[in-house]
Amino acid sequence: MALLALILVPLLFAGYVALRPEREAKSIALWGTLGALGISAWTLFDFDWGQSGVFQYAESFSWVDAIGLRLSVGADSVSLMLIALTAFLGPVCVLCSRTAITHRQRTFYAWLLVLQAAMTGVFAARDLVLFYVCFEFTLIPMWVLINLYGSTNRKKAATKFFLYTFTGSLIALAGLVYVVWFKWSVSQQWTFDLYELQRTAARMSSAEQAWVLLALLAGFAVKVPLFPVHTWLPLAHTEAPTAGSVILAGVLLKLGTYGIFRFALPFCPLAIGEYAPLIAGLSIVGIVYAGLVCWVQTDVKKLVAYSSVAHLGFCVLGMVALNDTGITGSILYMINHGLSTGALFVLIGMIYERYHTRSMDELGGLAARMPVWSSFMVFFTMASVGLPGLNGFVSEFLCLLGAFQASHEWAGTPGGTPGRLGFVYAAVAGTGMIVAAIYLLYMVGRVVFGPLVEPHGHGNGSGHGHGNGAAHGNGDAAALPRDLNWREIGTLLPLAIACVGLGVYPSPVIQGLRGPVATTVAVTKEGAAYKPPARADAKPPEVSR
Amino acid sequence: MILGAASIAEKIPFLWPEIAAFLATCVVMVVGLSPNLGTRRLCAPIAGLGLVAAGVLAAFTTPEGTGPLPFLMPFAKVVLCGVGLVLLLLASGVVDRDEEAVIAAGKATFNPLRTNRAEFYAFFLFSLTGLMLCASADDLIWLFLALELTSLPTYIMVTMSRTGRDGARSCEAGVKYFFLGALGAAMFLYGFALLYGGTGTTSLRGIERAFVSQSGSGGINSIAMVGMLLSIVGVGFKIAAVPMHLYTPDVYEGSASPVAAFLAFVPKTAGFLAIILLVSTMGWTFARDGSAAGGHSLPQLVLLTLWVMAALTMTVGNVLALLQKSVRRILAYSSIAHSGYMLVGVIAGPGDGTSITRNGIAAVLFYLLCYGLMNVGAFAVLACLDRKAGDDSPELETVDDLRGLCSSHPVLGWTMVVCALGLMGFPPLLGFFAKVPLFTSAIAAGEIPLVIVLGLNSAIAAFYYLQLVAAPMLEAPDTTVRTEPTGHAARPMAALISAASVVGVAVASGPLMEAGAKAGGKPVAKKPAEQPKRPPSGPSGH
Amino acid sequence: MMHLLAQANPPAPMHAVTLGHYLFVSAAMFAIGLIGFVSRRNLIIMFLCTELMFQAAGIALIAFSRFHLNHTGETFVIFVLTVAAAEAAMALALVVLLFRRRESLSGEEWASMKG
Repeated sequence: MALLALILVPLLFAGYVALRPEREAKSIALWGTLGALGISAWTLFDFDWGQSGVFQYAESFSWVDAIGLRLSVGADSVSLMLIALTAFLGPVCVLCSRTAITHRQRTFYAWLLVLQAAMTGVFAARDLVLFYVCFEFTLIPMWVLINLYGSTNRKKAATKFFLYTFTGSLIALAGLVYVVWFKWSVSQQWTFDLYELQRTAARMSSAEQAWVLLALLAGFAVKVPLFPVHTWLPLAHTEAPTAGSVILAGVLLKLGTYGIFRFALPFCPLAIGEYAPLIAGLSIVGIVYAGLVCWVQTDVKKLVAYSSVAHLGFCVLGMVALNDTGITGSILYMINHGLSTGALFVLIGMIYERYHTRSMDELGGLAARMPVWSSFMVFFTMASVGLPGLNGFVSEFLCLLGAFQASHEWAGTPGGTPGRLGFVYAAVAGTGMIVAAIYLLYMVGRVVFGPLVEPHGHGNGSGHGHGNGAAHGNGDAAALPRDLNWREIGTLLPLAIACVGLGVYPSPVIQGLRGPVATTVAVTKEGAAYKPPARADAKPPEVSR
Repeated sequence: MILGAASIAEKIPFLWPEIAAFLATCVVMVVGLSPNLGTRRLCAPIAGLGLVAAGVLAAFTTPEGTGPLPFLMPFAKVVLCGVGLVLLLLASGVVDRDEEAVIAAGKATFNPLRTNRAEFYAFFLFSLTGLMLCASADDLIWLFLALELTSLPTYIMVTMSRTGRDGARSCEAGVKYFFLGALGAAMFLYGFALLYGGTGTTSLRGIERAFVSQSGSGGINSIAMVGMLLSIVGVGFKIAAVPMHLYTPDVYEGSASPVAAFLAFVPKTAGFLAIILLVSTMGWTFARDGSAAGGHSLPQLVLLTLWVMAALTMTVGNVLALLQKSVRRILAYSSIAHSGYMLVGVIAGPGDGTSITRNGIAAVLFYLLCYGLMNVGAFAVLACLDRKAGDDSPELETVDDLRGLCSSHPVLGWTMVVCALGLMGFPPLLGFFAKVPLFTSAIAAGEIPLVIVLGLNSAIAAFYYLQLVAAPMLEAPDTTVRTEPTGHAARPMAALISAASVVGVAVASGPLMEAGAKAGGKPVAKKPAEQPKRPPSGPSGH
Repeated sequence: MMHLLAQANPPAPMHAVTLGHYLFVSAAMFAIGLIGFVSRRNLIIMFLCTELMFQAAGIALIAFSRFHLNHTGETFVIFVLTVAAAEAAMALALVVLLFRRRESLSGEEWASMKG
C-alpha cells in the first residue's frame, strides 16, 4: 500500500487545499508533502534491499478490462529512489514558494501536490497505460504553474513546453502500443504489464526495434531533453516560478531518462545497441553545445537551465553505455542532478525575490551582502561541477567510465564490456566537464565574489525591469531580510546534507541499484543475443502482418 | 430482396424503439398546439419520455439484427437515446423562449399556426428516429431513407434555431447546410443505384454475397466499385469528411449552440453507421471460420479512398482549427478532425472481432459515444451563457469571451476545461480511453503510418484545445464582456452531465467498451481446437 | 463493366436501347447536375441541379431494375421520388424565407461567415 499512499496522500491534500481558505494553503501543502516524505522514508527502510531488482509493494487492481488495462504499481530500487527524490523535493518546493507566491495560492499548491502525485505515479507504474497516464498528467500541473506564476514570457514558455512534450509522448504511445500488439501477436496475450512485455519485446526484428526505439525516443528524448529537441527547456526554466524550476529540473527531466531505462533499453536492445553511438553522439553534442551556450549567458537561471541539458547528456551517455557502471552512474546522476540543480534554482529564486533580476550584469560580489547565501551558492555549484567529495563527481565519473568501458576493444580486459562507445566518447564528453567547470565557476566568480554590484533601487522595495511578471509582489523584497532567514536555510540544508552524503559515501546507493541495473543489463544482453528462430515460429500462423 | 409484407413483419421486433420515438413525436406535435401554456410546456418532457422508452426498449427487446453487424442495434440505439437525452436537455428553449416571452409580454397572442416549439422537438425526435433506423438498416433503400430522415429535419432545425437579428446567420447556415446536404444525398443515392446495378440486390447481405462471388470470379464489378466510392464520398457529407466538409464551420457558427451540438453528434453518427454498414459488405472476411484474423480484406481502391479521406480530414480539420478565433468554429473544425480519427478505426476494420483493442469498428462506435458526450459539454457551456455587451450576437463567440469562466461560473468553466481536455485526448479523461482503441486497432491492422498521422494530429489539436483550457482556467475575467447565465435551467444540467461523464465514464469505461466490442463484432463461428488461449485479464468477447 | 453491359437484355436487336444507353443518360444527367451545382449561383437553379442528380439516380435504378429483372430498383425509385418531393418542399420554403430577408436569390448574398 505504501506506493498507493504515496500517490494518494498528495492528491488528497491537493483536494483539501482546494477546499480550504487561501491563507491555509501553504501549511496544508507543507503537511501533505511532509507526509509523503515520511512514507517515502519508511519505504526506504522497509524495502528489501537484498532483492532490489524485484518490484516490491506491488499492487494490482483491474481497471478497464476491455483493453487489458490494470492499475498496477510496484517499485524496484530505481523507482524507489526516484520516488524518494520526488518526495524529498516536495517540501523544498513548498518552502521555497512561501513568499514567492502571493496570489492564487490555493491553485498553486493544489497543482503542486497533484504534480507530485503524478510524478510518483510515473515511477511507481508497472502498467504501460498507467505510466503513460501519469507521464502525460504531469504536463497539466506544470503548464498551469508556468502559465500562472511564471515571469514575463510565461505563456509562450508554457505552451511550448506543453506542445513539445505532448507531441513527443503521443508518438511514444504509438511505440508502446506497438510493443503491446507484438506481445499479443506472439503469445495471444493482450497486456500492458511491463514485466510481461519485457519478456517478448526483445524478440522484435531489428527493424521493428529501430522504429519502436525512434518512437520511444520521440517521447523520452524531448523530456530529457536530448540535443536537437531541447529548445523548450531553457525557455520553460527561465519563465517558471522557482518551485516549478526545481520540480522541472529535479524530477520531470528524469521522467525521460527513466523512460529510456525502463522501456527503451529492455524493449529494443538490438536497436539500442546499434544506435548507441548515435544517441551517445547526440548527448555529447548536447553536453558541449549547452556548455558553450552557458558560457555566454548572462541570465543566471538560463545558465543553470542550459547546464541541465549538459548534465542530462551525461546521464544519457551513461545509459547507452549499456553496462553496469554506466547505467548505475546514470541513475545516480538523476538523483544527484535533482538535488544540486534543484538547490541552484532555489538559490536563484531567492535572489530573484530580493532583487527582481537574474542578470549577471546587475549582480556581483554578493558574498559581502549575503554570506550565507553565497556559501550555499558556492557549495551547490561545486556539487554541480563535480568536485570530488560531493555528489556530482561520483555519478559523472561513473557515466564516463561506463562509456569508456563500453567498447569492443576492451571486451577482453577486466572491467571491459562489449559496446560501441569507447575512449573517444568518454574523452569528448570529458571536455564537457571542463567547460562546465569554466562556466559555473565564472558565474560564481561574478555573482558571489568580485566587486559588489546590485541593481538600482532595490532597496526601496520595488524591483525594476521585470515586466509584468506575476510571481513577485512589490514590497516583498523590502520585507525580506537581506541574507537568508531560517526558513530558507532550512530549505537548503537538507539538500546540502544529501549532497555531501551521496558524495562521500555513495556505496549504499550504488549497492542498492545493483539489482535492477543487473537485471536490465542482462535483459539487454539477452535481447541483443536473441536470434529469432524463424519468423513463422515466433508468431502463430493465423496472424497475418 | 423486395420489401415485401413478410419481411416488414419480420422487422417489426427490432423497430420498437423507433416506434416509441415516433409515437412520442406525434404526441409532441399535437401537444405543442395547445393554447394552454402549461400543456405546451410538456413538449420537452414528452420527448424525453419517448427517448427513455426507446432506450429501454432497445436495451431489452432488440433481437439479433439481419444486417451485416447483427449486434450493432442495441448498443447504437441505447447510446443514441442516452446522448439524445442530454442533447434534449441542452435544446430546451432554443426556439420557444423568445416566442413565449413575446406572448407573455402581451405583444402577441398564441397562434397555433405560427408556433415553432412543437415542430422543433418533433424534428429533433424525427432525426433521432432516423438515426436509430440507420443502426437497424439491412437494405440500401432502408439506409437511404434513414439517412434522409436523419438529415431533413436538421436542415430546418438549423434554420429555425435563431431568431431576430441572429436569424440571418441561422438562415445562411441553413441554406448552406441544406444545399450541400442535398448534393451529398444525391451523390450517395447515385452510389446506391450503382451498387444495386452492380450486384442486383439492395439487401446488404445480398450485396455482400454478390461481392464474395464476384471476387471469386475476376474481381468486384466496376459499376459496384464506383457506386461504393460515390456512396462513401456522399455519406462523407454527414460525417463532415474532406472533401464534403466545407459547410461545417459556417453551419456550426450560424446555428444556435444546442443545434450545433446536435449536428456534431446525430448526422455524424448516422454517417458513420452508414459507412460501416456499406464498407462491411466489401469484405472483412474475419472470424467467419474462426481463423482469419488481423488485417482487412477491403479492396485496395476503397482502402485508398478511406485512407486519403482519413488523413486529409484529420489534417485539414486540425490545421484550419488553429487559425480560428471563434469557439464554435474551433469546435466545428475539430469535429472534422475527429471524423478523421474515427475513419482510422473504419480502415482498421474489425480485426479478429473479439476485443475492442483489435476491433476498429468497436473503437469507432465507442469513440462516437465519447465524442458525443464531450462535444455536447463544450457546446453546452456556450449555450448556457449570454453576452451582455450590446453586441451583435448574444451568444459567446470568441475564445476571449471564455476568460475567467472558472472563477465567474465555476461549473461551466470547469465543464469547458474538462471537455476540452477530453477532446484533446488527455489521459485519464474520456477522450484518451476513446483514442487508445483506435491506436491499438490501427496498429493491429498494420496501419502504422496512419497511426503516426493520428498521433501528430492529436498533437496539433492540443494547441487549440489548450486555448480552450487556458482561457477559462488561467486568464483573468474579461471586464468588457459580461457573461450571464441564460434562463434555461436544463442547459447547465446538460453541461454537468457531460462533464461528469467525461470523467466518470472514463473511469468505468470497461463495460461500455465491451458492449462496443460486441456491437462491432460478428458472430464468431466455432473456434478451431488450436485456438490459442485467451488472455486472463482480457475480455472474453462473445 | 463491359461484361455487364455486353449481356444486357439477351435477345436485343442491334438498334435496341440497351442498359448502356440508359446508364449513359443517367450519368450525363448526374454530371450536368453536379457541374451546374458547382458553377451556378442562383439558389433555385442550384436546387434544380440537385434534383437533376436525384432523377439521374432514378433512371439508373429503373434501368438496373429492368436489367436484373427484379422490382427492387423500381421500389427504390418510388421512395426516392417521395424524398425528392420532401426536399423540394423544404427547398422552396427555405428559398422563400431567404428571399424575404435579402430580396435576392443569389447564393453570394449569403456569405457573411468565412474562415
